[in-house]
Amino acid sequence: MAGRKNYYSLLGVPRNASTDQLRRAYRQAALRLHPDRNERPGDTEVFLDISQAYETLVDADARRAYDQELAEEELEQAAQSPFSTRVLHSRRALLQLPEPQVHYMLLDIEPKEAVAHVRPPVNLSLVIDRSTSMRGQRLDHVRSAAHEILKSLQAQDQASVTAFSDHAELIVSPDQARDLSVARARLSLLQAEGGTEILQGLQMGLEQLELNFTKEGVNHLILLTDGRTYGDEAGCLDLASKVAERGISINGVGIGSDWSDRFLDDLAGRTGGHVLFLDSPRAVTALLENIFDSLSKVIASRVRLEGSLSQYVDLRSAYRLRPEPMVLSDSLPLKLGNLPANEIIRILMEVVIHPLGDQQMLTLAHFDVVGDLLAEGGETHSLPVLVEHVVSDQPDSQPPPQEIVEALSSIALYRMQDMARHEAELGHASHAAQRLENLATHLLANGQRDLAKAALNEAENLARARRFSTEGEKILKYGTRALLLPAHAESGGVTDD
Amino acid sequence: MIECPNCKHQEFVGTLYCTECGSRLVHVSPMPTVSIPRDRLESEANTTKPAPPEPELASGAMMGLRVLSSGEILSLVGRENFTLGRAVDGQAVVPDIDLATREAYDMGVSRLHAEIRMLESGIFLADLDSVNGTMINGRKLEPQSPSPIRHGDILQLGRMRLQLITRRKG
Repeated sequence: MAGRKNYYSLLGVPRNASTDQLRRAYRQAALRLHPDRNERPGDTEVFLDISQAYETLVDADARRAYDQELAEEELEQAAQSPFSTRVLHSRRALLQLPEPQVHYMLLDIEPKEAVAHVRPPVNLSLVIDRSTSMRGQRLDHVRSAAHEILKSLQAQDQASVTAFSDHAELIVSPDQARDLSVARARLSLLQAEGGTEILQGLQMGLEQLELNFTKEGVNHLILLTDGRTYGDEAGCLDLASKVAERGISINGVGIGSDWSDRFLDDLAGRTGGHVLFLDSPRAVTALLENIFDSLSKVIASRVRLEGSLSQYVDLRSAYRLRPEPMVLSDSLPLKLGNLPANEIIRILMEVVIHPLGDQQMLTLAHFDVVGDLLAEGGETHSLPVLVEHVVSDQPDSQPPPQEIVEALSSIALYRMQDMARHEAELGHASHAAQRLENLATHLLANGQRDLAKAALNEAENLARARRFSTEGEKILKYGTRALLLPAHAESGGVTDD
Repeated sequence: MIECPNCKHQEFVGTLYCTECGSRLVHVSPMPTVSIPRDRLESEANTTKPAPPEPELASGAMMGLRVLSSGEILSLVGRENFTLGRAVDGQAVVPDIDLATREAYDMGVSRLHAEIRMLESGIFLADLDSVNGTMINGRKLEPQSPSPIRHGDILQLGRMRLQLITRRKG
């Protein structure tokens, strides 16, 4: 039953869908999947399921009976789910209002206590940019960082090192990685030369992951680069989307200032991964060790938020705050990545709610928290989460929960640098500079002196050069993004109160 | 819609941080802003408004300042003058009445913003060369020149609004 789709998600409609919505959804499915015109094998079966779903839901009596059955089934699912969730609202009540309103929801996903933590096998692929710009210190540090990671492998782990410039080369194969003296000798072959073609490296790195693909473990690729790839971005992104379906996640590590942060964010985001910025290569060993350490704690991979928002509700933005801050997509499903033991996945969603009449209660969303449990060989589990909220004609006089205020305060800072960058790109350099000065004031008030200084430097630079420096844009972006991580979560422990 | 008090940007009801300037909007009314015709605003400003009902001071203080955004009352008892402002870590001169915990920073209150003096001839308010100025019932004060204030007067420091409450003995 786990992972089986209910009639509403089969049709892709909210639970309170009207007959009209059902009819429209059915017609669209028929256009694509009808046996007379479908293309892929299996489409006919899907179509039959959808037909059954439609016929049940358009019949009021049958729908009532099905809803009852579904509710019981979901209760059962929730009891058996390895995850538990908590939803926090920015206001205790929504307002009956003839205009749109904004609402914030904080969603925590954590493993239930009963879920055993077994250290999963880690299947890791390191993909290293060896282009000419990496020559010297950068490559030296990366080489020794790779060596350190290989040293910490346990018996059930697998790892490989791929290097790429305008072509890819397997430097350390999974077999060679087991013998440290061989691995060291192979790593010394890693010399800088040529350009940056990320797709080449990505393909080979993923091939190595596939060789030792494990359903009981984490399959992860770390891409280290200091440059821009040209012309093969779309290929890389398609590949990332494809392997994400298999349960492979990707982290991006950008070194220096000349790499494309938007590309790397997109690439990693599609797999639920995240991106880290290193302005100096010195910290690369600690950073890789950190990533490796958290991989060895993962209990569920390919965690995602599926389901649907009610027809009154639109998702405006979503951010993951824990375990690793990341900007998420603004439509469901949200790719949330890996869930480590003793951690939680925390996301903040900003929604716009359409004008509400005099109803007392609003169903905001029917979410499904879905993830693959490693201890059970990657068995997919799904937890239905119904989000309802009171609607009132009186505004809530209580202040919003502290956790939401803190998250939004950091998100506001992140957005300011983002807007400043857009403005600068549109040619409004003086607006952008003003915004950065304002950002600096807010950062100072939050005790972020270094970031505030960086914002002021960048504002000066804007006045002179009329655009962001490649370094400043990354310092501000990843600096403010790091602030999304709740302060008490830095130790990695769960605070349960 | 609601309006950001800092930059006048329009936001949806429920928004907690201005998407334009990043200011926190918690103290903005959670209800949509109703626009009042300008002439009505001006005529209201020119007539003397009846004083709102006198609050019972829980502390038994005879004199206080009511923070309009929260309704909280700050006591004005026990001294002959009170400086108003917001305390910052490491600040040498701390104001007698610290408004820092009341969003004073976002409201544009200076560290030492204004002073209330209790004299024989009455109560006076003086602006202490604040950045964003001080107003009594919407009238801006000259820096460093004390003006008399009475029960019910609205004192505005930056954008923070306080109301003077006095209750004489006997």
